Amino acid sequence: MRLVLIGFGNLGRGLARALLDKGRALHSSYGLRTKVVAVVDEYGAAVDDGGVNLRRLLQIVEGGGQVPDYPGGKREKPAVEVIEEVEADVVFELTPTNIETGEPGLTHIQRAMRAGRHVITSNKGPLVVAFSELERLAEESEVEFRYSASVGGAIPVIDLAKNLLAGNEIRAIRGVLNGTTNYILTRMSKEGVPFDVVLREAQELGIAEKDPTLDVDGIDAACKVVILANAILGMDAKLADVKVTGIRNVTPEVTKLARETGYTVKLVGVAKPDLLEVAPKLVPLGHPLAVGGTLNAVTLEMDLAREISITGFGAGPRETASALIGDMISIHRSVGAR
Amino acid sequence: MRVRIEMELEDVPGQLVKALEPISKFGANIQNVVHQRERKTPLGRVPVTVIFDVDDRERLDRILKELRDSGARITLVGEREGMVKKVVLLVGHIVHTNVRDTIDRVNSLEGVRISDLSLAMGGAGEESAARIIILADNEGRAEAALRLLDEIAAEKKLLVIKEM
Ligand SMILES: NC(=O)c1ccc[n+]([C@@H]2O[C@H](COP(=O)([O-])OP(=O)(O)OC[C@H]3O[C@@H](n4cnc5c(N)ncnc54)[C@H](OP(=O)(O)O)[C@@H]3O)[C@@H](O)[C@H]2O)c1
Repeated sequence: MRLVLIGFGNLGRGLARALLDKGRALHSSYGLRTKVVAVVDEYGAAVDDGGVNLRRLLQIVEGGGQVPDYPGGKREKPAVEVIEEVEADVVFELTPTNIETGEPGLTHIQRAMRAGRHVITSNKGPLVVAFSELERLAEESEVEFRYSASVGGAIPVIDLAKNLLAGNEIRAIRGVLNGTTNYILTRMSKEGVPFDVVLREAQELGIAEKDPTLDVDGIDAACKVVILANAILGMDAKLADVKVTGIRNVTPEVTKLARETGYTVKLVGVAKPDLLEVAPKLVPLGHPLAVGGTLNAVTLEMDLAREISITGFGAGPRETASALIGDMISIHRSVGAR
Repeated sequence: MRVRIEMELEDVPGQLVKALEPISKFGANIQNVVHQRERKTPLGRVPVTVIFDVDDRERLDRILKELRDSGARITLVGEREGMVKKVVLLVGHIVHTNVRDTIDRVNSLEGVRISDLSLAMGGAGEESAARIIILADNEGRAEAALRLLDEIAAEKKLLVIKEM
């Protein structure tokens, strides 16, 4: 399987490391041999038909270099050209999220599909902006399209719902979908530390971004609600359809009042056919969604199985590589079965 | 849910204990018992009112069946008092925006009662938080109370945090 990586940040590098770790196992367990034939970042590309030496590329980039510093690298070679020119089976789209335009990911994904490449992405932007268009384009182009990593990091919630729970009518999806806000709420509740202080500490620890708006105001979680609604409930939802309230007004006193009656305050995303919402909610202590720290959790409500909940790490390069690699194996299987 | 039953018992020793036994046997929590010996019926029976909390309809039905089988004459089963309980948090300038008015407006709904209010006051000029416990006769009335709270909160710029 010939792979192209667009974006070599946290996730691109995490995936490269996982491919190095798992190379043998992928072959012995799944008969899957992978070769990364191109990697692109904002500055240019490393292209090697014989396979990019990932160890070498990681060294260069971790030493402060850029992808085109790789021997024979092509400075200013744009991703779209690489996508179209380099013969490949799968394109991984791992560039930064833009929730307004979906770019540059949206164009990368569209070009890749039109060129007949299967696509795996972690990027919420294109999914929030053009979910149904991309699903349709994948179908027309007869390619596979996977985006497990875009919601819940390592948690395989989309596959769980679509494959393992197939046959159920899924009536509601509720989830703690943002690790940063969950960390803030957990610390506020356990230690009584005010919002501003916890936020600053989270930023110092690298858990929260410099600009925390997307997380703290619930927008990141709302993006995930949109993706879950579209992917699992078959809706055609957009970000504007989600009623969003963030956690800026939640204080340690609020979490204390909740605790005294057996609840904890969580930022909960809800996807139901008649309601898309993100808001702070009272979750009973001991409920599967009452997870602490940066953990994520999702509960599916169905007609047959009733309730199933799943918990795990919602971010991190190694954790999210689990979803990317899983998608790749899943494509290998379904293409092999054709 | 909270249930109130009225029944008539024979005026012989041990009847009351016998009548209460099935109620606790099915895990219901007895809140109050009124034994009115001075209001004997013409047939010489004693009216008794029992108020208890029970988890679900099915258990209640089992309790009622057992009571009838034991010879109690049940004259009334009501589920009026505080059957549905909702916990709600409010955040914002709660006191400043007249918390009394907020409570009165919710209490003015039929079959709805605010049973508890806990305030955590912020510093001067800061936002406060409040926890309200609403008791309603049924789910529909509880939903109406929550909708009204949403309206009041929008008007008074308060954040409402509800149960999931
Ligand atoms: N980190 C996580 O745990 C996680 C989990 C789930 C989903 N995601 C999503 O996955 C995506 C990647 O996350 P990340 O943490 O790896 O982000 P990141 O560290 O910021 O990396 C983004 C990469 O994309 C490259 N890039 C930017 N614009 C490009 C362009 N026009 N063409 C080619 N490459 C371009 C960047 O290159 P330069 O370095 O040269 O600028 C960088 O290598 C994001 O959409 C994120 O929301 C992340």
